[in-house]
Amino acid sequence: MRFDSSWLLELLEGEHDPDTLAERMTAVGFTVELREAVDGGEAWDVEVTTNRPDAMNHRGMAREASVALGTSVRPLEFGLETSGQPTDALASVTIEDPEACSRYVAVVVSGVSIGPSPDWLARRLERCGVRPINVAVDVTNLVLLELGQPLHAFDLATLEGSRIVVRRARENERLTTLDGEERSLDPSMLVIADAGRAVALAGIMGGADTEISGATTDILIESAHFDPIVVRRAARRLGMHTEASHRFERGTDPEIVPVAARYAAALIAELAGGAVHPGPIDVHPRPWQPRGIALSVARLGRFAGLEIPAVRVVAILDGLGFAPEADGDTVRVTVPSWRVDVERPEDLYEEVIRHVGYDAVPAVLPVLSSRPGGRNPAWERVDRARDAALAAGLDEVVTYAFIDPEHDALAGELPLCPGEPLPLDNPLSRNQGTMRRSLLPGLVAAAREMLNRGERELSVFEQGRAFAIRDGRPVEVERLAVVLTGPRGPWDARRETDFLDVKGIAEELAARLGLAAERWERGGAPWLDEGEGAVARNGSGRALAVAGRLASDVADRFDLKVPLYVAELDMEAMAEPEEPRFEPLPRFPAVTADLTVEHDRSLEYAELEAAVRRLATGPVERIGLVVRYEGKNVAKGRVRTTLRLVYRHPERSLTREEVNAMQETLRERLAAGLGVTLV
Amino acid sequence: MGVERLEEVRREFTAAIEAAGTDPEAVERVRVRFAGKRSGLLNELTAALRELPPEERRDYGRALNELKRFIAERLEAAKAAAQAGPAAGFAVDVTLPGRRPPRAGRHPVHLVRRRIESIFLRMGYTVESGPEVEDDWHNFEALNIPPDHPARDDQDTFYLPGGFLLRTHTSPVQARVMERQAPPIRIIVPGRVYRRDSDLRHSPMFHQVEGLLVDEGITFGHLKATLETFLHELFGDRVAVRFRPSYFPFTEPSAEVDISCIFCGGSGCGVCSGSGWIEILGSGMVDPRVFERVGVDAERYTGFAFGLGLDRVAMLLYGIPDLRLMFAGDARLTRQFS
Repeated sequence: MRFDSSWLLELLEGEHDPDTLAERMTAVGFTVELREAVDGGEAWDVEVTTNRPDAMNHRGMAREASVALGTSVRPLEFGLETSGQPTDALASVTIEDPEACSRYVAVVVSGVSIGPSPDWLARRLERCGVRPINVAVDVTNLVLLELGQPLHAFDLATLEGSRIVVRRARENERLTTLDGEERSLDPSMLVIADAGRAVALAGIMGGADTEISGATTDILIESAHFDPIVVRRAARRLGMHTEASHRFERGTDPEIVPVAARYAAALIAELAGGAVHPGPIDVHPRPWQPRGIALSVARLGRFAGLEIPAVRVVAILDGLGFAPEADGDTVRVTVPSWRVDVERPEDLYEEVIRHVGYDAVPAVLPVLSSRPGGRNPAWERVDRARDAALAAGLDEVVTYAFIDPEHDALAGELPLCPGEPLPLDNPLSRNQGTMRRSLLPGLVAAAREMLNRGERELSVFEQGRAFAIRDGRPVEVERLAVVLTGPRGPWDARRETDFLDVKGIAEELAARLGLAAERWERGGAPWLDEGEGAVARNGSGRALAVAGRLASDVADRFDLKVPLYVAELDMEAMAEPEEPRFEPLPRFPAVTADLTVEHDRSLEYAELEAAVRRLATGPVERIGLVVRYEGKNVAKGRVRTTLRLVYRHPERSLTREEVNAMQETLRERLAAGLGVTLV
Repeated sequence: MGVERLEEVRREFTAAIEAAGTDPEAVERVRVRFAGKRSGLLNELTAALRELPPEERRDYGRALNELKRFIAERLEAAKAAAQAGPAAGFAVDVTLPGRRPPRAGRHPVHLVRRRIESIFLRMGYTVESGPEVEDDWHNFEALNIPPDHPARDDQDTFYLPGGFLLRTHTSPVQARVMERQAPPIRIIVPGRVYRRDSDLRHSPMFHQVEGLLVDEGITFGHLKATLETFLHELFGDRVAVRFRPSYFPFTEPSAEVDISCIFCGGSGCGVCSGSGWIEILGSGMVDPRVFERVGVDAERYTGFAFGLGLDRVAMLLYGIPDLRLMFAGDARLTRQFS
């Protein structure tokens, strides 16, 4: 909030230096964020936290400053002369909803001539960032800035029946507010009405029909207390936020209501002429009840970590208006009407520690039990995945968890899809309208951006959560996704990324994550290309990962010009890492032997390897792929595959002759069993 | 003749082969002279074995074999060098880039997270985790933010069907941990949070770390010391730490924690808006209303909580100017952190 520093200084007894004032205010919790020189003084931006509506005005702030500086606040003094008919002969006030309005004070000033405010008043408002309008409105604003009580001035002549009725709005009741907007109201909102219609939104804004104009002669000043929640709900519903609503929502001082009304009337009479009528109307269905609290000085000391003498406690609370009484270790206070935030002893601890000074409390590390810290397994899991991806040479990126619903719809067809879409009720924009069910759409979109900026080579991953509705409830699952494109390999052996690159990374990550991928099969369409897409499944058929080339129609939707290879892994199936076990090192040498077979392309490698494993005789330790060849000297549709078998006997050296014999047997069995041609 | 003669031949050979350098003809001349099939010196030395007395033969034979091997190896090496020619040592342009393994870029948010985790792990804290899709109770009500509380304005919330929401801070995990675990509690909670806000300094998705310590006899002085220690570990011992009274619905008293500006050292610059201070942490003593809501005995226990923006720390530590840059999925950013 904006404060006029010279006004604050005026309200304080004694001479004070603005720098010291700013420093002390910051120290007790009202950070002076910005000091700006304006004509005749300084305007300060002061952070007033939402629990302290009582300090959102100059007197309230001066009260805090007075305790911080060890002085006091000058009392509010003004002279008020009344004359003419009693107020209740000129107007009437009815509160139909005392829950929403506990008090309503109306003062009438008649015979005024409305013109611009005197210079001192206009400039004071300007220093606080308020635009001067006319003397009546300016006075209500001045009182708001000084006392924190929002006021409203009606042109009495425009109030039908000279009546004020505080009631709920009628369904679809219309009101054009001061800002010129016509608003449609409903019964959740509280209005000020006259005999016929709504004339103001209670605690938020007045109506255009009843505002003060140059022609106004008689003014009715409203000073009231409205329920914070009622004001807040109406303001939010109407999308309004005003100086008045800001304060009423946070809680105003119920006891300042009549004071503010009289003060404003006196100022208007002084500056605009006119007579203040005697006996202001004060309808007060729910009087304020003072609240008492007791605190223990010893307990406060233990809580702070600093012993604070009772006299100090009393002095601070006295300065803040709590009327403390000390009785041994106990200090009893009465919470002042303006402190809506104070309910229990801990609230008072804060008051005292704040004014003793956070700096005064000695910093002491707590003595803690020796139980060691640790990391939740959920964090261990995601960081294991992240580290595995980093070790594979992938760059980590982070994208938003909400994506375009159209992109998410595609993800819904992936085998890893965690459930139904989880849309946001109130997204910032359409293209961030739903929570992602896969990391891939966001990552692919990010890849497109990088490609558009001229990047050629991408090896990126993202680790994060995917979201969905499952069985009627939102679920979130950890995911790891990869995008590869462009040339790969060392500079002197470049080649374009292909399917085996992304599958290799997916395999490696799956292995490191402890995903029990038993088999890879063709799949992943329509996200992945039908010819170059694969799904990894565990023994029971659950999909654990997908990898492959982004299908061309998906690539088109993302406006991609180059092929993208993508993979995503479902981390929910991650197993805890097993403790490694030492195996005795082999004592006898291995003998390797290659085996080349020619076969139809339709024979998948996994099947060939499984057959070799099944049909091999002798102690085979490992089977690996050496080379695959298609082309010259191999018939169309046929492939030549060379496998390498490593034989090792645990108890003796194998001879080459023995291994050759085993290979021969294997070749015969393969030819018979798989129909491959031996080369 | 004898072992001494062998030593002599070894010296002669060494001198000759070194003199030959990488000249193939010179190397060949040396070979013929020492290891030539017909007239090489080694033949002569082998023949000499038979003339030795039987008791010397064993030692001589062993030394001779050793010499033969030495000569064979050196000749082999010299021939190879000669074959490669005089440029042999320069055949590879050693300034060519090597075939390096790929190097991965880390995301700055996670770099900072791990750094902060390690500081608190050393202080005996446990790193906790919780859901990003939250219910109103844990995100707000358990933390003393009832419906229609003005503090809800500061945390503009994304809502999901069924009354769920995206957590606006990592604080709900405080409530979850206190609900399921009795004190002493000593945790930090790093994680992703969401607010409906987007500009240079705000991103609708960002990251926080929350901390909570609950035990008997915990004081405001403990909070101060813990956060000072943490900030000195993170930013260095030279930064000054300042505690300012503030307000959070779930702590009381509350403190905003500033560090002296790490760019200007406190004299005032653009980063700290001339104030010399950078706001870094929110903290406070756990409000007893929160204890009551989550079932912790507020008479017996006290505690403190704190929270800070991971992204903000990353921006400060690494000089990243725009928060939204971090979530654009741009690898050019992360490659700077490899």
